[in-house]
Amino acid sequence: MKITAIAGITFKEAKRDRILYLLFFFAAVAIITSRVLAILTVGDRVKIIKDVGLASISIFGVLMAVLIGTSLVYKEIDKKTIFTLLSKPLHRAQFILGKFLGLVLTLFVMTVLMSLIFLVLLYFHTFKVEWTMLVAIAYIFLELVLITAVAIFFSSFSTPILSSIFSLAFTLIGHLSWGLELLIKKMRAGAGRSAAQFFYLFLPDLENFNFKTEVVHGLPIPAGIYLYSFLYGIFYTAFILGLTILVFRRRDFI
Amino acid sequence: MIRNTSPAKGSAAFLLVIFLLATCASFMALKVKTDTIVRKRVPGSSIIYIPSGKFLRYATFGYSALAADAIYLWAIQYYSTPTIDDRFNYLDHIFAIISDLDPTYTDPYETGALIASAEAGDTGLAFKILDNGAAKNPGQWLFPFEAGHIAMMNLKNYDLAMQYFKKCMDLPGAPDFTKRLYANALYKKGDNETSWQTWLEIYNTAPDERTKKIASNHLYQVKSAMDTGRLKEAVGKFRERYGRFPAELEDLVRSRLLGKLPKDLDGQDYVYDPKSGDVKAATIPWKR
Repeated sequence: MKITAIAGITFKEAKRDRILYLLFFFAAVAIITSRVLAILTVGDRVKIIKDVGLASISIFGVLMAVLIGTSLVYKEIDKKTIFTLLSKPLHRAQFILGKFLGLVLTLFVMTVLMSLIFLVLLYFHTFKVEWTMLVAIAYIFLELVLITAVAIFFSSFSTPILSSIFSLAFTLIGHLSWGLELLIKKMRAGAGRSAAQFFYLFLPDLENFNFKTEVVHGLPIPAGIYLYSFLYGIFYTAFILGLTILVFRRRDFI
Repeated sequence: MIRNTSPAKGSAAFLLVIFLLATCASFMALKVKTDTIVRKRVPGSSIIYIPSGKFLRYATFGYSALAADAIYLWAIQYYSTPTIDDRFNYLDHIFAIISDLDPTYTDPYETGALIASAEAGDTGLAFKILDNGAAKNPGQWLFPFEAGHIAMMNLKNYDLAMQYFKKCMDLPGAPDFTKRLYANALYKKGDNETSWQTWLEIYNTAPDERTKKIASNHLYQVKSAMDTGRLKEAVGKFRERYGRFPAELEDLVRSRLLGKLPKDLDGQDYVYDPKSGDVKAATIPWKR
Protein backbone atom coordinates (compact mmCIF):
# COMPACT_ATOMS: atom_id res chain seq x y z
CA MET A 1 0.00 0.00 0.00
CA LYS A 2 2.79 2.36 1.02
CA ILE A 3 4.76 1.33 -2.06
CA THR A 4 1.83 2.04 -4.39
CA ALA A 5 1.26 5.41 -2.72
CA ILE A 6 4.88 6.42 -3.31
CA ALA A 7 4.71 4.98 -6.85
CA GLY A 8 1.62 7.11 -7.53
CA ILE A 9 3.30 10.26 -6.20
CA THR A 10 6.44 9.49 -8.24
CA PHE A 11 4.32 9.01 -11.36
CA LYS A 12 2.60 12.39 -10.76
CA GLU A 13 5.95 14.02 -10.10
CA ALA A 14 7.50 12.52 -13.28
CA LYS A 15 4.46 13.68 -15.29
CA ARG A 16 5.27 17.26 -14.31
CA ASP A 17 8.90 16.94 -15.41
CA ARG A 18 9.36 19.05 -18.54
CA ILE A 19 12.32 16.95 -19.66
CA LEU A 20 9.96 14.00 -20.11
CA TYR A 21 7.86 15.91 -22.64
CA LEU A 22 10.94 17.26 -24.36
CA LEU A 23 12.31 13.74 -24.82
CA PHE A 24 8.90 12.48 -25.92
CA PHE A 25 8.72 15.28 -28.48
CA PHE A 26 12.14 14.38 -29.89
CA ALA A 27 11.24 10.68 -29.91
CA ALA A 28 8.06 11.45 -31.87
CA VAL A 29 10.04 13.64 -34.31
CA ALA A 30 12.65 10.87 -34.75
CA ILE A 31 9.97 8.23 -35.41
CA ILE A 32 8.18 10.45 -37.92
CA THR A 33 11.53 11.41 -39.53
CA SER A 34 12.01 7.72 -40.39
CA ARG A 35 9.41 8.37 -43.10
CA VAL A 36 11.71 10.99 -44.64
CA LEU A 37 14.76 8.72 -44.33
CA ALA A 38 12.82 5.93 -46.04
CA ILE A 39 12.34 8.19 -49.07
CA LEU A 40 16.12 8.48 -49.41
CA THR A 41 16.68 4.74 -49.55
CA VAL A 42 16.75 2.43 -52.54
CA GLY A 43 14.78 -0.73 -51.82
CA ASP A 44 12.87 -1.66 -48.69
CA ARG A 45 11.50 1.57 -47.19
CA VAL A 46 9.54 -0.22 -44.48
CA LYS A 47 12.76 -1.68 -43.08
CA ILE A 48 14.17 1.83 -42.55
CA ILE A 49 10.97 2.93 -40.79
CA LYS A 50 11.08 -0.15 -38.53
CA ASP A 51 14.79 0.28 -37.75
CA VAL A 52 14.59 4.01 -36.99
CA GLY A 53 11.30 3.64 -35.10
CA LEU A 54 12.49 0.86 -32.81
CA ALA A 55 15.85 2.57 -32.27
CA SER A 56 14.08 5.83 -31.34
CA ILE A 57 11.86 4.08 -28.80
CA SER A 58 14.94 2.42 -27.31
CA ILE A 59 17.26 5.46 -27.27
CA PHE A 60 14.72 7.99 -25.98
CA GLY A 61 13.38 5.46 -23.50
CA VAL A 62 16.90 5.02 -22.09
CA LEU A 63 17.34 8.81 -21.92
CA MET A 64 14.02 9.16 -20.06
CA ALA A 65 14.94 6.40 -17.60
CA VAL A 66 18.39 7.86 -16.98
CA LEU A 67 17.57 11.58 -16.85
CA ILE A 68 14.49 11.22 -14.65
CA GLY A 69 15.67 8.20 -12.64
CA THR A 70 18.96 9.76 -11.59
CA SER A 71 17.28 12.81 -10.06
CA LEU A 72 14.40 11.03 -8.30
CA VAL A 73 16.07 10.06 -5.01
CA TYR A 74 18.63 12.87 -5.16
CA LYS A 75 15.89 15.52 -5.35
CA GLU A 76 14.27 14.16 -2.19
CA ILE A 77 17.59 14.33 -0.36
CA ASP A 78 18.56 17.70 -1.82
CA LYS A 79 15.19 19.34 -0.99
CA LYS A 80 15.21 17.60 2.41
CA THR A 81 11.71 16.20 1.76
CA ILE A 82 13.20 12.79 2.57
CA PHE A 83 13.10 13.74 6.28
CA THR A 84 9.33 14.12 6.16
CA LEU A 85 8.97 10.81 4.38
CA LEU A 86 11.35 8.78 6.54
CA SER A 87 9.93 10.18 9.76
CA LYS A 88 6.73 8.33 8.84
CA PRO A 89 6.42 4.57 9.47
CA LEU A 90 7.97 3.88 6.09
CA HIS A 91 10.78 1.43 5.42
CA ARG A 92 13.56 2.68 3.20
CA ALA A 93 13.10 -0.36 0.96
CA GLN A 94 9.47 0.66 0.43
CA PHE A 95 10.61 4.15 -0.51
CA ILE A 96 13.05 2.80 -3.12
CA LEU A 97 10.56 0.28 -4.53
CA GLY A 98 7.86 2.96 -4.70
CA LYS A 99 10.17 5.33 -6.58
CA PHE A 100 11.18 2.51 -8.92
CA LEU A 101 7.61 1.41 -9.69
CA GLY A 102 6.50 5.03 -10.19
CA LEU A 103 9.17 5.59 -12.79
CA VAL A 104 8.50 2.22 -14.41
CA LEU A 105 4.86 3.24 -14.75
CA THR A 106 5.90 6.57 -16.31
CA LEU A 107 8.16 4.75 -18.78
CA PHE A 108 5.41 2.27 -19.55
CA VAL A 109 3.05 5.10 -20.51
CA MET A 110 5.78 6.78 -22.59
CA THR A 111 6.69 3.49 -24.33
CA VAL A 112 3.02 2.89 -25.15
CA LEU A 113 2.67 6.41 -26.60
CA MET A 114 5.88 6.13 -28.66
CA SER A 115 4.83 2.66 -29.87
CA LEU A 116 1.43 3.99 -30.92
CA ILE A 117 3.03 6.69 -33.08
CA PHE A 118 5.40 4.08 -34.52
CA LEU A 119 2.71 1.49 -35.25
CA VAL A 120 0.37 4.07 -36.80
CA LEU A 121 3.17 5.31 -39.06
CA LEU A 122 3.97 1.71 -39.98
CA TYR A 123 0.30 0.99 -40.65
CA PHE A 124 0.17 3.76 -43.26
CA HIS A 125 2.99 2.00 -45.14
CA THR A 126 2.04 -1.65 -44.82
CA PHE A 127 -1.74 -1.32 -44.24
CA LYS A 128 -1.57 -3.95 -41.53
CA VAL A 129 -0.81 -3.90 -37.82
CA GLU A 130 2.65 -5.38 -37.34
CA TRP A 131 2.12 -7.21 -34.06
CA THR A 132 5.59 -8.75 -34.16
CA MET A 133 6.97 -5.28 -33.46
CA LEU A 134 5.43 -5.55 -30.01
CA VAL A 135 7.88 -8.35 -29.15
CA ALA A 136 10.83 -6.04 -29.74
CA ILE A 137 9.08 -3.17 -27.91
CA ALA A 138 8.24 -5.38 -24.91
CA TYR A 139 11.90 -6.33 -24.50
CA ILE A 140 12.99 -2.72 -25.03
CA PHE A 141 10.69 -1.91 -22.10
CA LEU A 142 12.28 -4.70 -20.04
CA GLU A 143 15.68 -3.12 -20.77
CA LEU A 144 14.27 0.25 -19.65
CA VAL A 145 13.08 -1.33 -16.39
CA LEU A 146 16.60 -2.55 -15.68
CA ILE A 147 18.14 0.81 -16.58
CA THR A 148 15.62 2.54 -14.31
CA ALA A 149 16.79 0.36 -11.42
CA VAL A 150 20.41 1.24 -12.26
CA ALA A 151 19.59 4.98 -12.43
CA ILE A 152 17.89 4.84 -9.02
CA PHE A 153 20.82 2.85 -7.62
CA PHE A 154 23.32 5.55 -8.62
CA SER A 155 20.88 8.28 -7.60
CA SER A 156 20.81 6.84 -4.06
CA PHE A 157 24.41 7.86 -3.36
CA SER A 158 25.56 10.21 -6.14
CA THR A 159 24.74 13.47 -7.88
CA PRO A 160 22.41 13.47 -10.93
CA ILE A 161 25.23 14.32 -13.36
CA LEU A 162 27.50 11.53 -12.16
CA SER A 163 24.56 9.13 -11.90
CA SER A 164 23.59 9.91 -15.51
CA ILE A 165 27.14 9.24 -16.68
CA PHE A 166 27.30 5.97 -14.71
CA SER A 167 23.90 4.84 -15.95
CA LEU A 168 24.71 5.61 -19.58
CA ALA A 169 28.06 3.80 -19.14
CA PHE A 170 26.12 0.83 -17.75
CA THR A 171 23.91 0.86 -20.87
CA LEU A 172 26.94 1.08 -23.14
CA ILE A 173 28.73 -1.75 -21.31
CA GLY A 174 25.53 -3.78 -21.47
CA HIS A 175 25.46 -3.55 -25.24
CA LEU A 176 29.17 -4.25 -25.68
CA SER A 177 29.83 -6.92 -23.02
CA TRP A 178 29.38 -9.70 -25.60
CA GLY A 179 32.78 -8.65 -26.94
CA LEU A 180 34.34 -10.14 -23.81
CA GLU A 181 33.45 -13.60 -25.12
CA LEU A 182 35.78 -12.99 -28.05
CA LEU A 183 38.55 -11.88 -25.67
CA ILE A 184 38.06 -14.96 -23.46
CA LYS A 185 38.49 -17.24 -26.48
CA LYS A 186 41.84 -15.58 -27.24
CA MET A 187 43.10 -15.71 -23.64
CA ARG A 188 45.17 -18.49 -22.15
CA ALA A 189 43.78 -20.39 -19.16
CA GLY A 190 44.66 -18.73 -15.88
CA ALA A 191 43.64 -16.02 -13.45
CA GLY A 192 43.16 -13.42 -16.20
CA ARG A 193 40.83 -15.65 -18.13
CA SER A 194 38.87 -16.60 -15.03
CA ALA A 195 38.47 -12.92 -14.17
CA ALA A 196 37.31 -12.17 -17.73
CA GLN A 197 34.83 -15.07 -17.52
CA PHE A 198 33.46 -13.74 -14.24
CA PHE A 199 33.03 -10.24 -15.67
CA TYR A 200 31.45 -11.71 -18.79
CA LEU A 201 28.78 -13.37 -16.64
CA PHE A 202 28.44 -10.55 -14.12
CA LEU A 203 28.31 -7.54 -16.42
CA PRO A 204 24.88 -6.87 -17.93
CA ASP A 205 24.15 -8.31 -21.36
CA LEU A 206 21.51 -5.98 -22.75
CA GLU A 207 21.69 -7.77 -26.09
CA ASN A 208 19.46 -10.37 -24.41
CA PHE A 209 16.66 -7.81 -24.78
CA ASN A 210 17.51 -6.91 -28.36
CA PHE A 211 15.06 -8.55 -30.75
CA LYS A 212 15.02 -5.67 -33.20
CA THR A 213 16.95 -7.48 -35.97
CA GLU A 214 14.80 -10.59 -35.70
CA VAL A 215 11.44 -8.79 -35.90
CA VAL A 216 12.53 -6.41 -38.66
CA HIS A 217 13.86 -9.24 -40.85
CA GLY A 218 11.15 -11.69 -39.82
CA LEU A 219 13.65 -14.21 -38.49
CA PRO A 220 12.43 -17.04 -36.25
CA ILE A 221 13.09 -16.45 -32.54
CA PRO A 222 13.83 -19.57 -30.46
CA ALA A 223 11.02 -20.02 -27.92
CA GLY A 224 13.37 -20.47 -24.95
CA ILE A 225 15.03 -17.11 -25.38
CA TYR A 226 11.79 -15.25 -24.54
CA LEU A 227 11.56 -16.85 -21.12
CA TYR A 228 15.27 -16.81 -20.26
CA SER A 229 15.74 -13.20 -21.38
CA PHE A 230 12.67 -12.17 -19.40
CA LEU A 231 13.91 -13.96 -16.27
CA TYR A 232 17.40 -12.53 -16.82
CA GLY A 233 15.95 -9.02 -16.86
CA ILE A 234 13.82 -9.66 -13.76
CA PHE A 235 16.68 -11.16 -11.73
CA TYR A 236 19.17 -8.49 -12.78
CA THR A 237 16.67 -5.75 -11.88
CA ALA A 238 15.99 -7.45 -8.53
CA PHE A 239 19.74 -7.62 -7.87
CA ILE A 240 20.21 -3.90 -8.61
CA LEU A 241 17.20 -2.97 -6.49
CA GLY A 242 18.54 -5.14 -3.64
CA LEU A 243 21.88 -3.38 -3.96
CA THR A 244 20.12 0.02 -3.93
CA ILE A 245 18.21 -0.87 -0.77
CA LEU A 246 21.44 -2.09 0.88
CA VAL A 247 23.20 1.19 0.06
CA PHE A 248 20.21 3.38 0.93
CA ARG A 249 19.66 1.66 4.30
CA ARG A 250 23.15 2.64 5.38
CA ARG A 251 22.89 6.31 4.37
CA ASP A 252 22.78 9.03 6.98
CA PHE A 253 21.00 12.17 5.87
CA ILE A 254 22.35 14.49 8.54
CA MET B 1 24.35 9.94 15.88
CA ILE B 2 24.19 6.41 17.19
CA ARG B 3 23.45 3.88 14.48
CA ASN B 4 20.63 1.48 15.25
CA THR B 5 22.16 -2.00 15.25
CA SER B 6 19.27 -4.00 16.64
CA PRO B 7 19.19 -7.80 15.93
CA ALA B 8 16.14 -7.27 13.66
CA LYS B 9 18.07 -4.79 11.50
CA GLY B 10 21.09 -7.13 11.45
CA SER B 11 19.03 -10.08 10.28
CA ALA B 12 17.33 -7.90 7.64
CA ALA B 13 20.76 -6.92 6.29
CA PHE B 14 21.80 -10.57 6.30
CA LEU B 15 18.66 -11.54 4.39
CA LEU B 16 19.31 -8.73 1.92
CA VAL B 17 22.84 -10.03 1.29
CA ILE B 18 21.46 -13.55 0.78
CA PHE B 19 18.90 -12.08 -1.63
CA LEU B 20 21.66 -10.27 -3.54
CA LEU B 21 23.77 -13.43 -3.80
CA ALA B 22 20.76 -15.46 -4.94
CA THR B 23 19.70 -12.95 -7.61
CA CYS B 24 23.32 -12.56 -8.76
CA ALA B 25 23.72 -16.35 -9.08
CA SER B 26 20.37 -16.53 -10.90
CA PHE B 27 21.13 -13.92 -13.55
CA MET B 28 24.62 -15.37 -14.09
CA ALA B 29 23.11 -18.84 -14.59
CA LEU B 30 20.51 -17.35 -16.95
CA LYS B 31 23.28 -15.62 -18.88
CA VAL B 32 24.95 -19.01 -19.41
CA LYS B 33 21.58 -20.44 -20.47
CA THR B 34 20.79 -17.65 -22.96
CA ASP B 35 24.26 -18.03 -24.48
CA THR B 36 23.48 -21.64 -25.36
CA ILE B 37 20.45 -20.61 -27.43
CA VAL B 38 21.46 -19.96 -31.01
CA ARG B 39 19.67 -16.98 -32.52
CA LYS B 40 19.28 -16.53 -36.26
CA ARG B 41 21.33 -13.75 -37.72
CA VAL B 42 21.14 -11.72 -40.89
CA PRO B 43 24.38 -12.33 -42.85
CA GLY B 44 26.84 -9.61 -41.91
CA SER B 45 24.30 -7.99 -39.61
CA SER B 46 26.93 -7.34 -36.95
CA ILE B 47 28.73 -4.87 -39.19
CA ILE B 48 26.22 -4.00 -41.90
CA TYR B 49 25.24 -0.73 -40.23
CA ILE B 50 28.74 0.67 -39.82
CA PRO B 51 28.64 3.89 -41.82
CA SER B 52 31.23 4.91 -44.37
CA GLY B 53 34.62 6.13 -43.20
CA LYS B 54 34.04 9.53 -44.80
CA PHE B 55 31.08 10.08 -42.48
CA LEU B 56 32.83 8.58 -39.47
CA ARG B 57 35.77 10.93 -40.02
CA TYR B 58 33.47 13.84 -39.13
CA ALA B 59 31.67 11.92 -36.42
CA THR B 60 34.90 11.14 -34.54
CA PHE B 61 35.52 14.84 -33.78
CA GLY B 62 39.22 14.87 -34.56
CA TYR B 63 39.89 11.40 -33.13
CA SER B 64 39.79 9.69 -36.51
CA ALA B 65 43.20 8.03 -36.02
CA LEU B 66 42.05 6.63 -32.68
CA ALA B 67 38.83 5.39 -34.29
CA ALA B 68 40.93 3.76 -37.05
CA ASP B 69 43.04 2.00 -34.38
CA ALA B 70 39.92 0.78 -32.57
CA ILE B 71 38.25 -0.53 -35.74
CA TYR B 72 41.52 -2.16 -36.86
CA LEU B 73 41.96 -3.93 -33.50
CA TRP B 74 38.36 -5.05 -33.59
CA ALA B 75 38.71 -6.20 -37.24
CA ILE B 76 41.70 -8.42 -36.38
CA GLN B 77 39.67 -10.17 -33.69
CA TYR B 78 36.57 -10.33 -35.89
CA TYR B 79 38.29 -11.82 -38.92
CA SER B 80 40.21 -14.35 -36.84
CA THR B 81 37.00 -15.81 -35.44
CA PRO B 82 36.18 -18.78 -37.69
CA THR B 83 32.76 -19.29 -36.07
CA ILE B 84 31.44 -16.15 -37.80
CA ASP B 85 30.62 -17.74 -41.16
CA ASP B 86 29.73 -14.53 -42.98
CA ARG B 87 32.64 -12.48 -41.65
CA PHE B 88 34.14 -11.82 -45.08
CA ASN B 89 30.95 -10.27 -46.52
CA TYR B 90 31.94 -6.71 -45.64
CA LEU B 91 35.71 -7.04 -45.60
CA ASP B 92 36.05 -4.40 -48.30
CA HIS B 93 33.80 -1.99 -46.36
CA ILE B 94 35.66 -2.38 -43.06
CA PHE B 95 39.14 -1.79 -44.47
CA ALA B 96 37.86 1.09 -46.60
CA ILE B 97 36.59 2.71 -43.37
CA ILE B 98 39.99 2.34 -41.69
CA SER B 99 41.63 3.75 -44.80
CA ASP B 100 39.27 6.75 -44.82
CA LEU B 101 39.84 7.40 -41.13
CA ASP B 102 43.64 7.12 -41.26
CA PRO B 103 44.88 6.93 -44.87
CA THR B 104 48.57 6.74 -43.88
CA TYR B 105 48.15 3.80 -41.48
CA THR B 106 49.90 1.09 -43.53
CA ASP B 107 49.29 -2.02 -41.40
CA PRO B 108 45.55 -2.33 -42.13
CA TYR B 109 46.16 -2.35 -45.92
CA GLU B 110 48.67 -5.18 -45.51
CA THR B 111 46.50 -7.15 -43.06
CA GLY B 112 43.33 -6.54 -45.06
CA ALA B 113 45.01 -7.78 -48.24
CA LEU B 114 46.37 -10.82 -46.39
CA ILE B 115 42.91 -11.68 -45.01
CA ALA B 116 41.35 -11.16 -48.45
CA SER B 117 43.88 -13.34 -50.29
CA ALA B 118 44.69 -16.03 -47.72
CA GLU B 119 41.45 -16.32 -45.73
CA ALA B 120 38.63 -15.10 -47.97
CA GLY B 121 40.29 -16.33 -51.20
CA ASP B 122 39.44 -13.04 -52.90
CA THR B 123 42.65 -11.89 -54.60
CA GLY B 124 40.73 -9.22 -56.51
CA LEU B 125 39.81 -7.59 -53.21
CA ALA B 126 43.40 -7.94 -51.98
CA PHE B 127 44.59 -5.97 -55.02
CA LYS B 128 41.84 -3.41 -54.45
CA ILE B 129 42.92 -2.85 -50.82
CA LEU B 130 46.61 -2.62 -51.76
CA ASP B 131 45.91 -0.34 -54.74
CA ASN B 132 43.90 1.90 -52.41
CA GLY B 133 46.89 1.98 -50.03
CA ALA B 134 49.22 2.81 -52.91
CA ALA B 135 46.91 5.57 -54.16
CA LYS B 136 46.75 7.17 -50.71
CA ASN B 137 50.47 6.63 -50.01
CA PRO B 138 52.15 7.12 -53.40
CA GLY B 139 55.69 6.98 -52.00
CA GLN B 140 55.18 3.69 -50.11
CA TRP B 141 56.82 0.72 -51.87
CA LEU B 142 55.20 -1.87 -49.61
CA PHE B 143 51.83 -1.95 -51.40
CA PRO B 144 53.02 -2.75 -54.95
CA PHE B 145 55.50 -5.18 -53.39
CA GLU B 146 52.74 -7.08 -51.54
CA ALA B 147 50.49 -6.96 -54.63
CA GLY B 148 53.31 -8.35 -56.78
CA HIS B 149 53.84 -11.13 -54.27
CA ILE B 150 50.13 -12.07 -54.29
CA ALA B 151 50.05 -11.98 -58.12
CA MET B 152 53.10 -14.22 -58.31
CA MET B 153 52.39 -16.71 -55.50
CA ASN B 154 48.59 -16.92 -55.42
CA LEU B 155 47.51 -16.12 -58.96
CA LYS B 156 50.63 -17.20 -60.86
CA ASN B 157 49.91 -14.15 -62.96
CA TYR B 158 53.53 -13.29 -63.77
CA ASP B 159 52.66 -10.43 -66.09
CA LEU B 160 50.73 -8.68 -63.30
CA ALA B 161 53.45 -9.53 -60.76
CA MET B 162 56.05 -8.00 -63.08
CA GLN B 163 54.01 -4.78 -63.34
CA TYR B 164 53.71 -4.47 -59.55
CA PHE B 165 57.39 -5.26 -58.94
CA LYS B 166 58.35 -2.69 -61.58
CA LYS B 167 56.25 -0.07 -59.75
CA CYS B 168 57.85 -1.06 -56.45
CA MET B 169 61.41 -0.87 -57.85
CA ASP B 170 60.81 2.71 -58.96
CA LEU B 171 59.90 3.85 -55.45
CA PRO B 172 62.45 5.11 -52.93
CA GLY B 173 63.40 2.68 -50.18
CA ALA B 174 62.29 -0.42 -52.08
CA PRO B 175 64.45 -3.43 -51.09
CA ASP B 176 67.13 -4.57 -53.56
CA PHE B 177 65.61 -8.00 -53.91
CA THR B 178 62.52 -6.53 -55.62
CA LYS B 179 64.59 -6.36 -58.81
CA ARG B 180 65.38 -10.05 -58.38
CA LEU B 181 61.66 -10.82 -57.97
CA TYR B 182 60.99 -8.75 -61.08
CA ALA B 183 63.64 -10.66 -63.06
CA ASN B 184 62.21 -13.95 -61.82
CA ALA B 185 58.68 -12.88 -62.84
CA LEU B 186 60.06 -12.10 -66.32
CA TYR B 187 61.56 -15.58 -66.46
CA LYS B 188 58.32 -17.23 -65.27
CA LYS B 189 56.40 -15.22 -67.84
CA GLY B 190 58.70 -16.64 -70.53
CA ASP B 191 60.46 -13.40 -71.43
CA ASN B 192 63.93 -14.99 -71.19
CA GLU B 193 65.78 -12.27 -73.11
CA THR B 194 64.66 -9.43 -70.76
CA SER B 195 65.07 -11.70 -67.74
CA TRP B 196 68.67 -12.47 -68.84
CA GLN B 197 69.43 -8.76 -69.23
CA THR B 198 67.94 -7.95 -65.82
CA TRP B 199 69.78 -10.79 -64.05
CA LEU B 200 73.00 -9.73 -65.76
CA GLU B 201 72.47 -6.19 -64.50
CA ILE B 202 71.86 -7.54 -60.98
CA TYR B 203 75.00 -9.67 -61.25
CA ASN B 204 77.15 -6.77 -62.39
CA THR B 205 75.86 -4.40 -59.70
CA ALA B 206 75.63 -6.96 -56.85
CA PRO B 207 76.78 -5.39 -53.58
CA ASP B 208 77.92 -8.70 -52.07
CA GLU B 209 78.98 -12.23 -52.97
CA ARG B 210 75.68 -13.76 -51.89
CA THR B 211 73.68 -11.62 -54.31
CA LYS B 212 76.23 -12.35 -57.02
CA LYS B 213 75.80 -16.07 -56.43
CA ILE B 214 71.98 -15.81 -56.52
CA ALA B 215 72.17 -13.81 -59.78
CA SER B 216 74.66 -16.31 -61.23
CA ASN B 217 72.32 -19.24 -60.45
CA HIS B 218 69.43 -17.43 -62.10
CA LEU B 219 71.58 -16.58 -65.12
CA TYR B 220 72.38 -20.29 -65.33
CA GLN B 221 68.67 -21.09 -65.15
CA VAL B 222 67.68 -18.53 -67.80
CA LYS B 223 70.49 -19.54 -70.18
CA SER B 224 69.59 -23.21 -69.73
CA ALA B 225 65.94 -22.42 -70.48
CA MET B 226 66.91 -20.56 -73.66
CA ASP B 227 69.40 -23.25 -74.78
CA THR B 228 67.23 -26.26 -73.98
CA GLY B 229 64.37 -24.50 -75.77
CA ARG B 230 66.45 -24.16 -78.93
CA LEU B 231 67.75 -27.74 -78.60
CA LYS B 232 64.25 -29.18 -78.11
CA GLU B 233 63.04 -27.24 -81.14
CA ALA B 234 65.89 -28.70 -83.23
CA VAL B 235 65.18 -32.21 -81.88
CA GLY B 236 61.56 -31.77 -82.97
CA LYS B 237 62.61 -30.73 -86.49
CA PHE B 238 65.05 -33.70 -86.65
CA ARG B 239 62.19 -36.07 -85.79
CA GLU B 240 59.99 -34.51 -88.45
CA ARG B 241 62.73 -35.00 -91.02
CA TYR B 242 63.94 -38.52 -90.10
CA GLY B 243 60.97 -39.97 -88.23
CA ARG B 244 63.04 -40.65 -85.13
CA PHE B 245 64.83 -38.83 -82.32
CA PRO B 246 68.55 -38.15 -82.89
CA ALA B 247 70.85 -40.74 -81.27
CA GLU B 248 72.95 -37.92 -79.80
CA LEU B 249 72.88 -34.11 -79.81
CA GLU B 250 75.81 -33.95 -82.25
CA ASP B 251 73.39 -35.34 -84.90
CA LEU B 252 71.69 -31.92 -84.85
CA VAL B 253 74.96 -30.24 -85.99
CA ARG B 254 75.66 -32.97 -88.56
CA SER B 255 72.18 -32.53 -90.05
CA ARG B 256 72.79 -28.71 -90.05
CA LEU B 257 69.83 -28.00 -87.79
CA LEU B 258 72.21 -26.21 -85.42
CA GLY B 259 75.51 -24.43 -86.16
CA LYS B 260 77.08 -25.72 -82.94
CA LEU B 261 75.90 -27.22 -79.69
CA PRO B 262 75.39 -24.73 -76.89
CA LYS B 263 76.96 -25.33 -73.48
CA ASP B 264 75.58 -24.28 -70.12
CA LEU B 265 76.97 -21.35 -68.12
CA ASP B 266 79.54 -23.63 -66.49
CA GLY B 267 80.73 -24.94 -69.91
CA GLN B 268 79.03 -28.32 -69.48
CA ASP B 269 77.05 -30.18 -72.17
CA TYR B 270 73.30 -30.48 -71.84
CA VAL B 271 71.96 -33.90 -70.91
CA TYR B 272 70.02 -35.58 -73.71
CA ASP B 273 67.66 -38.60 -73.50
CA PRO B 274 67.45 -40.23 -77.00
CA LYS B 275 64.39 -42.29 -75.98
CA SER B 276 62.16 -39.30 -75.12
CA GLY B 277 64.03 -36.56 -76.97
CA ASP B 278 64.17 -34.54 -73.74
CA VAL B 279 67.01 -32.10 -73.10
CA LYS B 280 67.95 -30.92 -69.59
CA ALA B 281 70.65 -28.85 -67.92
CA ALA B 282 73.46 -30.86 -66.38
CA THR B 283 73.07 -29.21 -62.96
CA ILE B 284 70.20 -27.94 -60.82
CA PRO B 285 70.87 -24.15 -60.66
CA TRP B 286 70.64 -23.99 -56.83
CA LYS B 287 73.13 -26.84 -56.39
CA ARG B 288 75.94 -25.32 -58.42
